Amino acid sequence: MEFVGENRIKTDKVINDLDKFVLKFIRILEKHAQYVIVSGYVSIFFGRSRATEDVDVIVKRMGKKPFSELYSGLVNEGFWCLNAEKPNDVFEYLEHNAVRFAEKGKVIPNMEFKFAKAESDFESLKNPMAAETSIGLLMLGNIELQIAFKRAVLCSDKDMEDAVHLEEIFKGRLNNYKIRDYEEWLKK
Amino acid sequence: MAEKIVFDRAKNREERLWFVRYWANYIRTHSDKEWSEQQASLINSQLQNS
Repeated sequence: MEFVGENRIKTDKVINDLDKFVLKFIRILEKHAQYVIVSGYVSIFFGRSRATEDVDVIVKRMGKKPFSELYSGLVNEGFWCLNAEKPNDVFEYLEHNAVRFAEKGKVIPNMEFKFAKAESDFESLKNPMAAETSIGLLMLGNIELQIAFKRAVLCSDKDMEDAVHLEEIFKGRLNNYKIRDYEEWLKK
Repeated sequence: MAEKIVFDRAKNREERLWFVRYWANYIRTHSDKEWSEQQASLINSQLQNS
């Protein structure tokens, strides 16, 4: 992995099946909306030795019509929504919940798609880390916020291990004051 | 007579964290290709068997 900018990295990693699934989904999503991938997949992207059943993606809120166009794009490329079938129903569901998209005929892995609502969601959208892979670009949640969120909000053993992994991988490049500030902010 | 199973959660957590740090250090000191081939093998097999 090589830093090619303050918030941009380039990696020659071997693209695994989970990465392929995520990149396929993102290639469609990015045509319609601003997004950022957060939580477990960020740690996995940077090498954590585990898989996951879902990949969390925060999407800037969009209107019903652009969402319908996104939905058609996803369906045309072989995705289905686990929560509802009609785009209007999915859109209404999104008002208060996350929805999940998987490849047709499958349930896992899936993309857990939600509109930005919480302050931390907007912070993630505002300051992403761009990751260049051999098959495309991904916008990932900034590392300091990922670590703080896992430590201060999620707190499971798995999340604490993810946080340690990210700290080790980005050793010497992290702003520890920023992590502490994020932790205090998230606990309020 | 079989020994009673005693699970030490704190020790297990400590050992897991040791490995997380070991693996992260491996990633930092090896090429993307070397570590990611191993990760891909693990993830692909997990997804294929799900």
